[in-house]
Amino acid sequence: MAPVEDQPEDVLDSSLVDLNTFNQILEMDEPDDHEFSTSIVFGFFDQAEETFAAMDTALAEKNLEELSSLGHFLKGSSATIGLTKVRDGCEHIQRYGKLENIDGSSEPDEDLCLERLTKAIQTVKEDYKEVETVLRKYYEQFDS
Amino acid sequence: MSEILDLLPVPTLVVQPLGDSYRIQRASVGLLQAWDRTREDLVDKDLFVALYRGSKTARFDRIPLAYAIETAVATKALRLCHAAYVSGDDTWTARITPVHKEEDLSCLLLQWEKAELHVAVPDGGMSQSWLPIDDAFRILIHAVKDYAIFLLDTRGNIVTWNTGAELNKGYKKEEIIGKHFSVFYSEEDLQRGKPDGALERCLREGRVEDEGWRYRKDGSRFWANVVITAIYKNDIHVGFGKVTRNLNERKENELRLVAAYEESSRLKNDFLANISHEIRTPMHGMLSACSLLLDTELSEEQRETANLIDESGRVLLQVINDILDYSKLAAGRFSVQSDVVDIAGIIISVTRMVRTTLQPGVSMHLDLAPGLPKAMGDPIRYRQIAENIIGNAGKFTEKGSITVQVSVSAEDKTTHTLLTKVIDTGHGVPGDAAAKLFEPFTQLDTTYQKRRQGTGLGLSISKSLCELLGGDIGYERNPEGGGSIFWFSVKLDKVKKTTSTIPERGADEPSRSPSKGQGTDAGAQLNLLRGIARTKRILAVEDNIINQKVLVGMLHGFGFEDITVAGDGSQAVSILVSEGHVFDLIFMDISMPVMNGYEATVRIRSSGSRVPIIAMTAYALKGDREFCLEKGVDDYIAKPVNRQLLMQKLLRWLCHPDNPAHVNGNITEEAANDCPAISQELVQA
Repeated sequence: MAPVEDQPEDVLDSSLVDLNTFNQILEMDEPDDHEFSTSIVFGFFDQAEETFAAMDTALAEKNLEELSSLGHFLKGSSATIGLTKVRDGCEHIQRYGKLENIDGSSEPDEDLCLERLTKAIQTVKEDYKEVETVLRKYYEQFDS
Repeated sequence: MSEILDLLPVPTLVVQPLGDSYRIQRASVGLLQAWDRTREDLVDKDLFVALYRGSKTARFDRIPLAYAIETAVATKALRLCHAAYVSGDDTWTARITPVHKEEDLSCLLLQWEKAELHVAVPDGGMSQSWLPIDDAFRILIHAVKDYAIFLLDTRGNIVTWNTGAELNKGYKKEEIIGKHFSVFYSEEDLQRGKPDGALERCLREGRVEDEGWRYRKDGSRFWANVVITAIYKNDIHVGFGKVTRNLNERKENELRLVAAYEESSRLKNDFLANISHEIRTPMHGMLSACSLLLDTELSEEQRETANLIDESGRVLLQVINDILDYSKLAAGRFSVQSDVVDIAGIIISVTRMVRTTLQPGVSMHLDLAPGLPKAMGDPIRYRQIAENIIGNAGKFTEKGSITVQVSVSAEDKTTHTLLTKVIDTGHGVPGDAAAKLFEPFTQLDTTYQKRRQGTGLGLSISKSLCELLGGDIGYERNPEGGGSIFWFSVKLDKVKKTTSTIPERGADEPSRSPSKGQGTDAGAQLNLLRGIARTKRILAVEDNIINQKVLVGMLHGFGFEDITVAGDGSQAVSILVSEGHVFDLIFMDISMPVMNGYEATVRIRSSGSRVPIIAMTAYALKGDREFCLEKGVDDYIAKPVNRQLLMQKLLRWLCHPDNPAHVNGNITEEAANDCPAISQELVQA
């Protein structure tokens, strides 16, 4: 319990995190602790790491369908927490995995989709790293 | 020289080998006179055709002579063939002399002598027969009633007939003596050459035994055991002995036994299936109640006891499910679905699950061959096999590692065969037990391991499932580390190339206006909701644990206490079945593994439940809403779930479950009691 808590908006870049959504999570915390939101956010970190690993495997196997479903899976939870960039990245993965362009039109070129997937996974990992660092930093202030 | 042969008074034939047959080269004048035949009739003709043409039993008649020639040639020695030719009432014995030029057979000399009358006449003049029968034996044999015992001459004509033969075959002695024994065979057996084959084999082997249908005089048939023995007198083949035993009774008993066994096996399986089903339903109820109990505040002792109930209940449920599967498989009532199987995805998911149960220090490796195909098969059954085999490896490996390998082992035009290998460094299977591994109800007991929980049906079920999926299953020792290698294969149909992607067009989300209705209205709504929340039960169906937690967190925030979470549609359906329809509202994620939200909704609706179902999905397809409604979903909320919107939906559906969209209608009394202070605007906000 730091005497003056940093507010999320002070630390979190709104291009990374949708503050309305993230605040919904924070509002579910008890007044004096952050147990609930911590479990959600850190639970998400674990889930994201696992999903990325699974994405790597699926990419190596060129398993587009699996990639699409993994993208969909992580999109759900990142959206719930409000991690906008990660969510968008996941949506791209979901679409490319379904042999679609970003706008939802179909893209029959499997190789092109794989190439896009490789890049999109790279990007989403970077975006995730960024927001993870910020969030960890945000939660560090409660650690003392 | 050749002329001398022609002029010989002794009945003589000179026969030349010609391929597989024998051609008559010369016939002596003595023979033409004795047999009253012309030279043209015989010379240059096939031996067997010339001798037996016109006989109804020609193909049997030739057997003794053909066999005698065969042995004469093979042994390069003289052979006698008794009764090789019949002319009028006389029978003639052939004396066969093979003539060799160096190693090659140049011709055969067949000299003929008249034999004594041998064919028994109906009055039973056995003493005239060549067949050696002692009087005492004849009396004994004649008296046997249970066996048909009779003699045949060299060509298969019946010579004697006992009481047993008369009783079993229905022919009187007078009408059968002299007839050919092939009358006892079916037309089909005759065409297949069964009786002649029997005689030929009998000559070669001395004896033949056979079981089959034989026909009586009245056309009825009986199942017979038949033994035919070749009879020789002074090394000359003189006939056959035939003993026929009626096995009808035994055969009928066998058939009755088989039918009784099948019936009892069917009854057993039906019983197992019914009883398992009946136990499963209350079992689900008990387990749900127990997990509710575990969610309450309990003393340590109580918690321990409740945990014990929970654990035992789960084991029992698994046992029941196994038995149910087993009895379905045994009864051949297991259906296999055809769907796209994502082998890699299933294996990843199963290993992820098993990983959580591994003992400390055990590692798990995944080795998926690159380019594993997506193919058509039954994903649920494949998963069931994988869970069993990989789960077993997890259970029985105390140190070391488990490796799961998947590869394509074969491929043809329409199918892939996928091989899954699970290699562990556990205790392995002792040699004598390996043979019984896949038999039902087998569990390995080892001194250093306590007996595992379960029925011992897992591997047997897996084996049957593999067979259903066109594959196989097996075990071998792990050459490294002394553990086990379990492998199984499944055959999957190739996917026909079609690209049917439904384009997702722009989002068509229902209005999301968190700002509207906030402030005092929102406060009033929240109070209203909190007032009714405690008494309501909610089922949240969602596969992503983060989303589960957040949704449950929000619902707790609204004052809901009774929230059940299901990880996929099929869990939701089974919870509803076991708990009865006690929920007031269901939140249903749409895209979930195993069973998606639409399918779950359809099942829930088809079970007759009218519980409000609110679909949740991360993206809205155009027409999604209509599709949802068509599937029986009542309403729809976009993800990420907005708390405000969620509150409104809850109010709307929990206060007016019967007519939520109603603006001016009458609130039913029940609903009014639930929400005493509700105002229409609030509900509609």
